[in-house]
Amino acid sequence: MEKKSVSVTLNNVTKIFKDPKGKADVLAVDDANFVVEPGELVTLLGPSGCGKTTTLRMIGGFELPTSGKVYIGGDDVTMLPPNRRDTATMFQSYGLFPHMSVFDNVAYGLRLRKIEPEAIRKQVDEYLELVGLAGYGERAPGRLSGGQQQRVALARSLIVTPSVLLLDEPLSNLDALLREQMRVEIKRIQRSLGITAVYVTHDRVEAMSLSDRVIVMKDGKIRQIGSPDEIYEKPDSRFVAGFVGKAAFFPVAIGERNEGVWECMLGDRPVHARSAAPDIVRNSRGVLMARPESLRLVDKGEGHLDGRVRMNVYLGHSLESYIQTAFGEVLVQVDDPNARTIRKEGEEVSIEFPPDRVRLLGEREE
Amino acid sequence: MVFIAADLWIYSSLMGSFTAFVEEKNHDEVTLFVQTAPEEKGEYAQWLKGIEGIIPGSAAVYLDYRDHEFVPTVGMTAATDALWREAGGSAAFRQALESSYYLETTKLRDRYQVRYDLAGGARTKVDIYFVPVIADNGYEALGTVMVLVPSTGILGFARLLRIFAIGAAIVFVAILWAVMLTRDPVTSFMVLGLMTIVLVFVAYPLIEALRLSFMKDGRFSLETWKLGLSPTYIVALWGSLKLGVATATASTIIGFMIAFLVERTAFKRKRLVSVLATMPVISPPFSLSLSIILLFGNNGLITTQLLKMKAFSIYGLGGLTVVQTISMFPIAFLTISGVLKQIDSTVEDASLDLSATRWQTFRSITLPLATPGILSAWMLVFTNSLADFANPQLLAGSLRVLSTEAYMIVTGRTNDLGGGAMLSFLLLLPTLTAFMVQRFWVARKSFVTVTGKPSTTLADLTSKRVRTFLAVVTYLVIGFIMLLYLTIVVGAFVKNWGIDYSFTLANWKAVSDSWNAIKSTVLLALIAAPTAGLLSMIAAMLIVRKNFPGKRILEVLMMTPYAIPGTLVGISYIIAFNKPPLMLVGTAAIIVINYVIRELPVGLENGITALHQIDPSIEEAAHDLGADVPTVFRTIVLPLVRPAFISSMSYTFVRAMTAVSAIIFLISAKWYHLTVKILSYSENIRFGLASVLCTVLIIIVLGVFGLMQLLVKDEKLTRKSIALR
Ligand SMILES: Nc1ncnc2c1ncn2[C@@H]1O[C@H](COP(=O)(O)OP(=O)(O)OP(=O)(O)O)[C@@H](O)[C@H]1O
Ligand SMILES: [Mg+2]
Repeated sequence: MEKKSVSVTLNNVTKIFKDPKGKADVLAVDDANFVVEPGELVTLLGPSGCGKTTTLRMIGGFELPTSGKVYIGGDDVTMLPPNRRDTATMFQSYGLFPHMSVFDNVAYGLRLRKIEPEAIRKQVDEYLELVGLAGYGERAPGRLSGGQQQRVALARSLIVTPSVLLLDEPLSNLDALLREQMRVEIKRIQRSLGITAVYVTHDRVEAMSLSDRVIVMKDGKIRQIGSPDEIYEKPDSRFVAGFVGKAAFFPVAIGERNEGVWECMLGDRPVHARSAAPDIVRNSRGVLMARPESLRLVDKGEGHLDGRVRMNVYLGHSLESYIQTAFGEVLVQVDDPNARTIRKEGEEVSIEFPPDRVRLLGEREE
Repeated sequence: MVFIAADLWIYSSLMGSFTAFVEEKNHDEVTLFVQTAPEEKGEYAQWLKGIEGIIPGSAAVYLDYRDHEFVPTVGMTAATDALWREAGGSAAFRQALESSYYLETTKLRDRYQVRYDLAGGARTKVDIYFVPVIADNGYEALGTVMVLVPSTGILGFARLLRIFAIGAAIVFVAILWAVMLTRDPVTSFMVLGLMTIVLVFVAYPLIEALRLSFMKDGRFSLETWKLGLSPTYIVALWGSLKLGVATATASTIIGFMIAFLVERTAFKRKRLVSVLATMPVISPPFSLSLSIILLFGNNGLITTQLLKMKAFSIYGLGGLTVVQTISMFPIAFLTISGVLKQIDSTVEDASLDLSATRWQTFRSITLPLATPGILSAWMLVFTNSLADFANPQLLAGSLRVLSTEAYMIVTGRTNDLGGGAMLSFLLLLPTLTAFMVQRFWVARKSFVTVTGKPSTTLADLTSKRVRTFLAVVTYLVIGFIMLLYLTIVVGAFVKNWGIDYSFTLANWKAVSDSWNAIKSTVLLALIAAPTAGLLSMIAAMLIVRKNFPGKRILEVLMMTPYAIPGTLVGISYIIAFNKPPLMLVGTAAIIVINYVIRELPVGLENGITALHQIDPSIEEAAHDLGADVPTVFRTIVLPLVRPAFISSMSYTFVRAMTAVSAIIFLISAKWYHLTVKILSYSENIRFGLASVLCTVLIIIVLGVFGLMQLLVKDEKLTRKSIALR
């Protein structure tokens, strides 16, 4: 089962779907560049239609890039068809062969490789065992539950020991509980086999919990690449910040930069924030991004933004306070509320922005 | 690039050596010829004519040497005279004549255009040789012979060579494209293969036929078309149209009644009726004509023997309409029942709830919803009626229709292929119009699928009286069909129909007489069926799943034969494939190709529909696991589209077994077709023999058809495919 892990590289990959009438060409992927390191699990995250599937299909060889190159393990595979790439894809709809039994489905790839029947039987049993389907070999795929079908698809992909595993929203057809189980399962198997994996999803929780790194896409463009905490804590754009979690945005005037910290004015009060956004310009306007759990409530006048508590929602492990401010309603999440003083509804308060927890973003877009 | 250069080089060197070879040969022939000069100058005229037998199309003139000059004396014609007057004084001629004086044979470097016809040949370019006639003493020229040798022989070969050179270059570029510039050479080759097939066997023959219809004696001419639009043939066009309208209308009415009975009422024996009513679809096209003649013909059992009618004639528009209606109403039945089935009864229920009467509901709800289907049915039957060749051939009498006129003009004394092509193009006009209207207008307007959910209960719109009436009509039609089939079987065992009805087995010698025809008919159909089935599934896969330049063109060309009358296909095939580079007439190949090409569209449609219902990621998964395109096709696509595949095969088999309109032009002594045998027996009033062969044909078709249906449960699809052409 052991195999050397390989990297996947996309160099300036662009995909344009030509409209047959030549009118409405679709720019599905726009100049994508990234490297998936050997053994790494990377997710492509983004809203519907942003080009995730198209990117994945270009790695798998199902689509030919309009321009750019795809490398697997350093080899240029751009022109190779899927059957000559060392990749295996799990499709959103599984793509099980309906006219074959579970056993034959899993054995398909091995039979193509002309392995003796005895060895095939042994390996198929082994992999069915691995995905927890021992004894299901003779069933028709149509007579399996969604989760079981999913596992057959996984076994069928893994049995050919691919160097790269491509998964296109493999869990979207499952219910919440099963989804969580399979998520763990996939990650466990991927780790133990050391397979490089690219995982497509539009579910941020899935992306966060599963990946070593996340690639956030929008309208065919890659917006940010980073580890889950980088993406969450240090987004480069309003879109990324909003897409991966709850966030509040405040317009600020940008001043000088001091040891990596920008001095800004929120209304008439100074605030400090870090930024990695490329479009920050001195003495211009920007946007301050804050996560609800990074904000703190302090007494009136002591923080950066005054307001009044409109409503408290008690959730046990946390409390959500909705604060009415000059910039609209702001959600502040108070963790472990039972150990803190709680601001009553109607109380005048102030919100504090810890410099290391808020981010300064460019003003443009959304 | 290198290849093209090599291609050019091979071409030019081949060309060069061939030219050199021919010229050398001509040179020798001419020299030898002149050595046979007779003693007496009086015999020269006769002698000079002999050159034609040696080099076809050439001519020779004798120039006598007198007063230090060569003067033409014997063998001048208008052509040579003109040439001599024009070029005789030129430097080239002078030089050649001078050489003749020194007893040397010369060939002029340039070719000359001859203005008038040479003896026998058309106007052409010629090579000119001057060969001295030497006196007995051996050192004096008596005169010289000017020989004009047409260069057409060389040109003809050159044309062929050029075609091959261009062909080779195209093939090479295509291969280059497939291998180097695409990612998936196998797919590219499949696309190229299909493209070649349709270009060569669909586009090329049609273009050739169209071209020929604009030619007369090798030149562009509108004469053929003028003839076609003259009163003689306009009558035939009218005949076709009248017949089409009558048959389509009658078929649609009967088809609607039976479909309504089966689909929208509480009638019990639905399945039985469906099967029996579609019987005519899988029987030879004119078996019904045959039994109609047996029953109602000039010596018919019913008209003459039972009713003793004297003046009755079944031949003509009336009889033909009856026969065509019986053979084509199943088309209307299947089309309309497909539509009626999908109308959601809840709509009708709703109307009935609103206290509309049943008749009102029928008129305001059911009928409008079914209208697109009814129109479709009408157009389809109309198209089929116009394209029908076999029934008119037997029953038209004095009615003239285009399909048989086209056949007659081609097989007649003048053998006028261009005329035949023109008449079938004339036939194509209304057919194509109806086809287009059906496809792009009626089919668009159908808004039938109201919910898509089959409703459990039927709003029965019919009173008992109406239902009984419909049932009676249905049973009458079916009874009539049964009677017709029975007649054929009985006819096979009757000594001399119309005169002596005693039992005999003598007719069955037809089987041994026609054994070769039976064998070749079955064999070719058996070859065509899987070929067409496979090709159509491959094409469907390419069209549904792959993207490639020219996809639209490929699809349109593949569908084209669907809309074309068989007569036109047959005629265009003999026009295109009875000459180089593709000499196919007379071979089995052309018959099989014709079957495959004509039946591809239906298989293709079935395949496309089937593939659209299959998740593409199933094939992609197989591809991904290491299967190349052919393996994916074999292990995944084919098993999944099996119903469509098998029904295309059975469909092609049935159609090939019962083909006549195109095949009648393509058969040869070696590869004969059973239907043509039956047709000629019928025409020669050998009804017993015809009945025997008809029975045999029906048994074979039913047998194989049934066998194939065992392989797939979807019999409906096949019957429908067969009917809906
Ligand atoms: N075969 C195709 N032909 C034309 N356009 C296409 C094709 N496939 C995808 N597109 C277009 O390309 C864009 C990106 O599609 P893609 O399937 O990659 O999105 P996605 O991010 O996977 O979306 P989802 O989350 O909805 O699956 C879309 O606008 C889509 O309409
Ligand atoms: Mg997708």
